[in-house]
Amino acid sequence: MMQPVRKVVVVGRDGPAWMAALSLQRALGRAGLEVSVVELPSLLRGADVYAALPSLRSLHDLLGLDEAAVLTAARGVPMVAQRYSEWTPGAAFLQGYDSVEAPGAFLSFVQLWAKARIKGLPVPFEEFSYGAMAARLGRVPSESDDPEALGATYGYHLDANAYSLLLRTLSERRGIKVRSTPIADVEISEDRILAIELADGQRIEADLFVDASGAEAVLISRLPQSAFEAWDAFLPCDRLLAASAPRLSPLPAFSQVTAFDAGWAGMFPLQERTAVVAAYRSTEIGDDELLHKLKADVGMPVEGDAVVSTIAPGVRKSPWIGNCVAVADAAAFLEPLDSLQLHMAHVCVTQLINFFPVDSDTRIEATDYNAAVRLHASNLRDFQQSHYKLNRRTGQRLWDEARSAEVSDGLAQKLRVFQARSEAVLYDEETFEAGSWASMFIGHGLTPEGYDPRADLIEEQDHIERIQARLREIAGSIPALPTIEAFLTATQIPVKAPAPAS
Amino acid sequence: MNDPVEVVILGGGTAGWMAAAALSALLPRSRCNVRLVESEEIGIVGVGEATLPHMKNFNDAVGIDEAEMIRATKATFKLGIEFRDWGFLGSSYVHPFGIHGASETSLGFHHKWLRAAQTGHESNLEDFSFAIVASRQNRFDFPAATGKPGIASTYSYAYHFDASLYAAFLRKFVEARGVTRIEGMVRAVNKTPGGDIASLTLESGEVVSGNFFIDCSGFRSIILGEALGAEWEDWSNWLPCDRAWAVPSANVGELTPYTRSTALDAGWQWRIPLQHRTGNGHVFSTGFTTEEQARETLLANLDGQALAEPRLLRFQAGRRLGSWHRNCLALGLASGFLEPLESTSIYLVQIALMHLLPLFPGRQTEPALRDEFNRRMEVEYERIRDFLILHYHLTNRDDSELWRYCRAMDVPESLTFKIERFRRRGYIERYREGLFTPPSWLSVLVGQGLKPEHYHPTMDNVPAEEVARELEELRTDILDRVEEMPKHEAVMARYTRDGFASDPFAFGLNA
Repeated sequence: MMQPVRKVVVVGRDGPAWMAALSLQRALGRAGLEVSVVELPSLLRGADVYAALPSLRSLHDLLGLDEAAVLTAARGVPMVAQRYSEWTPGAAFLQGYDSVEAPGAFLSFVQLWAKARIKGLPVPFEEFSYGAMAARLGRVPSESDDPEALGATYGYHLDANAYSLLLRTLSERRGIKVRSTPIADVEISEDRILAIELADGQRIEADLFVDASGAEAVLISRLPQSAFEAWDAFLPCDRLLAASAPRLSPLPAFSQVTAFDAGWAGMFPLQERTAVVAAYRSTEIGDDELLHKLKADVGMPVEGDAVVSTIAPGVRKSPWIGNCVAVADAAAFLEPLDSLQLHMAHVCVTQLINFFPVDSDTRIEATDYNAAVRLHASNLRDFQQSHYKLNRRTGQRLWDEARSAEVSDGLAQKLRVFQARSEAVLYDEETFEAGSWASMFIGHGLTPEGYDPRADLIEEQDHIERIQARLREIAGSIPALPTIEAFLTATQIPVKAPAPAS
Repeated sequence: MNDPVEVVILGGGTAGWMAAAALSALLPRSRCNVRLVESEEIGIVGVGEATLPHMKNFNDAVGIDEAEMIRATKATFKLGIEFRDWGFLGSSYVHPFGIHGASETSLGFHHKWLRAAQTGHESNLEDFSFAIVASRQNRFDFPAATGKPGIASTYSYAYHFDASLYAAFLRKFVEARGVTRIEGMVRAVNKTPGGDIASLTLESGEVVSGNFFIDCSGFRSIILGEALGAEWEDWSNWLPCDRAWAVPSANVGELTPYTRSTALDAGWQWRIPLQHRTGNGHVFSTGFTTEEQARETLLANLDGQALAEPRLLRFQAGRRLGSWHRNCLALGLASGFLEPLESTSIYLVQIALMHLLPLFPGRQTEPALRDEFNRRMEVEYERIRDFLILHYHLTNRDDSELWRYCRAMDVPESLTFKIERFRRRGYIERYREGLFTPPSWLSVLVGQGLKPEHYHPTMDNVPAEEVARELEELRTDILDRVEEMPKHEAVMARYTRDGFASDPFAFGLNA
């Protein structure tokens, strides 16, 4: 007789572990599910930042976390866009989060732009993006109720330690039992975890174990069928540096991701400091040399708290084996680009609830979860790899190799069709909609040679008018949006006075 | 790239004229110049007398007036398909063009339905679909306009029409838009030295050359199949029916707003009510009966008097791999065949055209565009294929050879997957591309007799009694609203009356 799943133990640390525990309790607690956490020592460095996509806000809504509480506790600021610079020498672009166009529209705006560009329009695509232009002016946009109107949304930059603590506190307040004793042993029989033994002798059994331990994957990597698929052929960096720099004033509405010869370095504004992250390849530069380079060449005034670690992008062949479900970095590891750090956790937890087992024979659920998580992660990998693939930094080994690196069939097809018709093909399990792919491709210089032929149905005068109307609408409405500081103040967060110039 | 592409469409059936309509109405004149070659000596197969709701979008997009089309093609309205004797002898279910429940949810309505059953009172899933309840009462009305969402906007509708009248109607519509029609039979398909299609030579000796050829020549597939040799992928081991007898009969009884499909010993029979007659046909497999036997079965099962001699159609389930090959794209029967069980023939033509428009090439075929078109069409064909196989395979019938074969046959893994998931946990995959959304799969899976063993665990958050009460209110609400709807017959009378206004909204608002 198959037993229903009544008891889940989350083994893990930091944002993803608490996110998993809170979400599972929220979705299934009233249905009788008991959720507890075995907490492992944090892997976060003091300077770490979570850059989060706008979708994190919908998770917060589900969990009953309000925006003011999150931003106050996590010293966070709205993230309206990302600015990629030097991926083509001398060039930069902003990628925002524009509202998805009304489904009724038979041509997306990118078609109008692509045609106008071919006819000689000199205005960059980003100037037609509501989110990108709001970010440029340091404003926080909102989505319009009118599906025809322009709008954009925003994510967050959050202090990773403070955010994790917020979720941990909330977990305890909601009655989730937390044990912080080290794990002594994991008892395994075939493909199932029977129990976890803690250092104090406690033996913890569960119907389902969630591995939220990060890249270490403390549970799932012990199971016999466990295997990891490395993505180093697609994403070249193997080292990650985290550090802090002084607060920027006024606070930018975007993160800044700058390519340099050995990788990229990003600046992520927070309320009281700026988080600095650099991903690079150890064959190109040493850790000490990197610190020097960040200060001297990239212009990032890194403080003394810099910490370096190893990263290995890739995905588990089976993120769910037996009664063990890996989430977040334990399931798939991506670069901290594109504000995805908490996103894989969000995707995994959503899929786990979607495929939550109806009894202890979980083979079907595991198969579906594995397929969905792997597909989702590989679509994200394709998005990240596109930054590298489209670079124009010639004469630098890492970047020359990245331009000629292999891509998945799906990405190859996306690139070809985009070049021919200015439209991004979308597959199942995509995080980013067509507009995000388009602005990323165009931003990196993939200029379409053709467009949807139906764009020619629009009379030239009407076409020009539509282009101008969009620029007018953006220019007219963005100055009325709140600045980052005004937004924080309105959210009742005291804003620190700008640091005196030193 | 801006020289107009000389497009030659071969064949003037539904597919050919739809292609001509779409290209001439939805692409700029500067992009293509369309000519259509057809012969009046060749008849139209025209099995696609029943359509899907997408048809209305097509007509709206190319600028066809609905009321005019309804009058010209003797059309009636359609809210779904009734399947009789499919799951087991004596059974009946409707696959509606609508959802179950009051609004679409990501989990699916059936989880509520299963949860409510835990109170001990089982209910009929069909009672919670507005479109089904309306169908069962032979009522029809236009869905409530968007902006006032509610139970009366949870469905869409399609048409039953006379396909040869539709082709003729489109021809008139298209010729008025400057498409040239060339009368003639094809004697030869001529290629360029590089192997692309250069021109067609007609029996008259006339040579019709072009840059891009659309093969709508029906089962013969004169360009894609015969001239270019595109490989045929055979699906007849899963869909063994290979013939159909078709015959019109006199209308009797109340006008139904749905197609009926009745499973028979060696196949199934369609019943499609039009304004002036009823279309009937018996789709069967020569592996399990004879042509003569099938003809008798059809004639014995008509509910009105036969109005003509039955006509025999021969086919095979399958498709040509890559319906866009070199500078030729095949549509409809020239690219593949799936039996009309779910009224998908015209949809497949339509969706191919909708995929073609944004990818429409210049004078030189661009491989990226061709590959993308073929990728999308492969998804379309395979999704429909699986959905059709489901009807045959998931059955309790074992009273004849055909059904015993279909029950036991190996089906595509993609379908096994779906059935297993629904059986275990009521899960229905939601995909980005391709036909049939979860509500369609739900109605057929449950209709064929499969009930999930479990509902989603989150349903336990709500007490079963509470869910049961909600469902009871929904059932009453649907019944009340359906009883206010006019009969399908009464709605049709408005179209057949002389001189009636052509604006459907003139009487769409509960006249």
